[in-house]
Amino acid sequence: MKPLNGIRVIDLSRILSGPYCTMTLADMGAEVIKVESPAGDDTRNWGPPFIKCESAYYLSVNRNKKSIVLNLKTEEGKEILLNLIKKADVVVENFRPGTLDRLKIGYETLKKINPKIILASISGYGQTGPYSKKPGYDIIAQGIGGLTSVTGEPDKPPVKVGFSVADIGAGMWAVVGIQNALIAREKTGEGQRVDVSLLDTMISWQTYLASNYFASGKNPEPQGGAHPNIVPYQLFESSDGFFNVAVATENHWEKFCEVIGASDLKDNSKYSNNANRVINRERLIPYLQDIFHTKTTKEWIAIIESTGIPCGPVLRFNEIYEDPHVLAREQVVEVEHPTAGKIKMTGLPVKLSATPGEIVSAPPLFGENTREVLSTLGGLSNDAISDLEEKGVIKLGSVPAEI
Amino acid sequence: MFPLDGMKVLDLTRVMAGPYCTMILGDLGADVIKIEREKTGDDTRSMGPFVNGESACFMMINRNKKSMTLDLKSEKGKNIFLELAKKADVIVENFRPGVVKKLGIDYETVKALNEGIIYCSISGYGQTGPYSNKGGYDIMAQGMSGLMSMTGEPNGHPVKVGISINDISAGVTAVYSIMAAFIQKLKSSRGQFIDVSLVESGLAWSVWESAGYFGEGIVPNRTGSRHRVSAPYQAYRTKGGYVLIGGANQRSWEKFCQKVVNRPEWIDDPKYKTPKDRIENVDDLERCIEEVLVKKTTQYWVDRLDDAGVPGGPIYTYDETLNDPHILERGMVQEFDHPVAGKLKTLGIPSKLSETPGKIRKPAPLLGQHTEEILREELLLSEEDIQQLLEENIISKEPLSIQK
Repeated sequence: MKPLNGIRVIDLSRILSGPYCTMTLADMGAEVIKVESPAGDDTRNWGPPFIKCESAYYLSVNRNKKSIVLNLKTEEGKEILLNLIKKADVVVENFRPGTLDRLKIGYETLKKINPKIILASISGYGQTGPYSKKPGYDIIAQGIGGLTSVTGEPDKPPVKVGFSVADIGAGMWAVVGIQNALIAREKTGEGQRVDVSLLDTMISWQTYLASNYFASGKNPEPQGGAHPNIVPYQLFESSDGFFNVAVATENHWEKFCEVIGASDLKDNSKYSNNANRVINRERLIPYLQDIFHTKTTKEWIAIIESTGIPCGPVLRFNEIYEDPHVLAREQVVEVEHPTAGKIKMTGLPVKLSATPGEIVSAPPLFGENTREVLSTLGGLSNDAISDLEEKGVIKLGSVPAEI
Repeated sequence: MFPLDGMKVLDLTRVMAGPYCTMILGDLGADVIKIEREKTGDDTRSMGPFVNGESACFMMINRNKKSMTLDLKSEKGKNIFLELAKKADVIVENFRPGVVKKLGIDYETVKALNEGIIYCSISGYGQTGPYSNKGGYDIMAQGMSGLMSMTGEPNGHPVKVGISINDISAGVTAVYSIMAAFIQKLKSSRGQFIDVSLVESGLAWSVWESAGYFGEGIVPNRTGSRHRVSAPYQAYRTKGGYVLIGGANQRSWEKFCQKVVNRPEWIDDPKYKTPKDRIENVDDLERCIEEVLVKKTTQYWVDRLDDAGVPGGPIYTYDETLNDPHILERGMVQEFDHPVAGKLKTLGIPSKLSETPGKIRKPAPLLGQHTEEILREELLLSEEDIQQLLEENIISKEPLSIQK
């Protein structure tokens, strides 16, 4: 039993933001039918890396789904899709705004055939506003949303966040919006449209930096590895690498000075509280940095950790996935894939005690479930299916042998 | 009508991850009662900048909530909490693991009184595993989930993401988990325990980078503003600034050459012919593109990119972002009236629902602003009972503005 058991999702989305959303729904028990064009989700070809002949990109966000192949540019393809949507609860798409209407499968059409349907659209800039028709990628949203301007080292070229944070964030907001609409539907019996954008996502995450700006009118500057309002709360270099430490209370500050062998700082009025440390940051940080150059990361973490002050390493991926805590939390899950073999995936970031999510199936092969879905849900005969395949409306894909 | 109308949330959280989670629940209609330490309240109440003595940071992520003060370490305070918990749907807390057990307000205790309770704990490293008792803030989680090691200039130091990204990811992960449990509860009337951590929420976002590591053992490096497998997809220098270009597919690359920089000869140049070629020669490509782009301003290139239909954009500072006509039209900057701070701007809601959208209904509460109201209305306490609690310092006199 999983929380979203019984919810059927028709997934028209490609690449990252939409697939991340529908994967999250599927992890929690929804039945997700991924509808691919005859060319397939673009990421199927994105590589290397490939695992056997499957792209690692595609494999990373498409577990727990079924795949069917439909040509939505044909009338018959569209008709089949609408038939599936009649029996679905949710449709997710991340085409450019206007594309669904052009294909004549816009929200108004869907609502007519199924008033309970929830249509979630994820786009770069949203369905409304002057930029809505512009193409928007993750990096552009990071830039316009202000995130790039606050990430990186002061006086150096801007850097983007190391992974596609706007895409994934928008995917999660879509999950929130869809679940909201499902809860509202329990009361009203009707579906609705959910509109989520990469740019709005970036803005909603500015939180305290935006409040700083609204209150002071000053732009926040990039801080490298540091925090604008708390000192010391940042990255330091050790004799062999880097580590993070966060001294957020005065009690911690005193203990911190003692264990790192700088008791003199404790009594220095320039650093007597956080506000003074923020003001005198330029003086304090180089001094601390000199101290931290004298020992290894491992040594400093052991010393600081003994006081209960939060600190930790800067791990690279090979270290993360060997870390005993990460493994104990089941953050690496192995799944058997029909062609790629045993593949590893990131686990579920949320643990529910009664109805946890689960990885039940590997990412589907291209069109793996076309026949199954069309004959059960679509009510089509084998002859009709063969006919559609010949006309190029559908592709049957390969069905893996039992493992 | 709001989607979460009728959902009652007891909010024990402080600082960022938890308050962000309960703010979203509040935005979507839930009735959120924030329970704060008497006298001082949430730590962020004393963090600047201040507007008429009220913390701007606190007000940003605590809108749409009520505040009551309560000394949870006292027997009476604990009992008041448990009485409220009997009527609640959701409890959210972000103490260090073990604290709620010590206070006698943990999941097992509440579940014995209210089987339908959804109890969500947010922590740095999770409720189990060898690091569970360590203190973990956003920056440690960024370090441990690999995010810092892959953010920054290739030869520079690792940098942290400029916002508290792991706090926020844990907050949003908690929101969707609470909603999933709530959907389940509508069917079964039963609640459950939810365990969310900062490290895992961030790790779960590194899907592509983890896939590359699991697939071929590739450890992602810092790439500045560059994409790992696609070019041109990065920030380029212009006259006086930078422009972002997302030429992720072959068609936009060709349009870029023809219509944006007017260098059609690049299309057939063997160094740049395929996406693979462009990644292999990414340094060379950057130099060639920047030679052209530095001659004109960012705005000029943004317009050219727009006209050509190639994804592109500026790198905004906050004043530009928060005054942009598109962002304003999307309702991402809103205003509310705060009793002490006055007219105040706040960020809007990014998930737009057509029929039952969320709304900013009320400003962040003063410390303990609703203590008496809640005790009176929810627990039907008399004036004498309330007076008694005040005298014993179980609750504090309201409203209390933490002046700084």
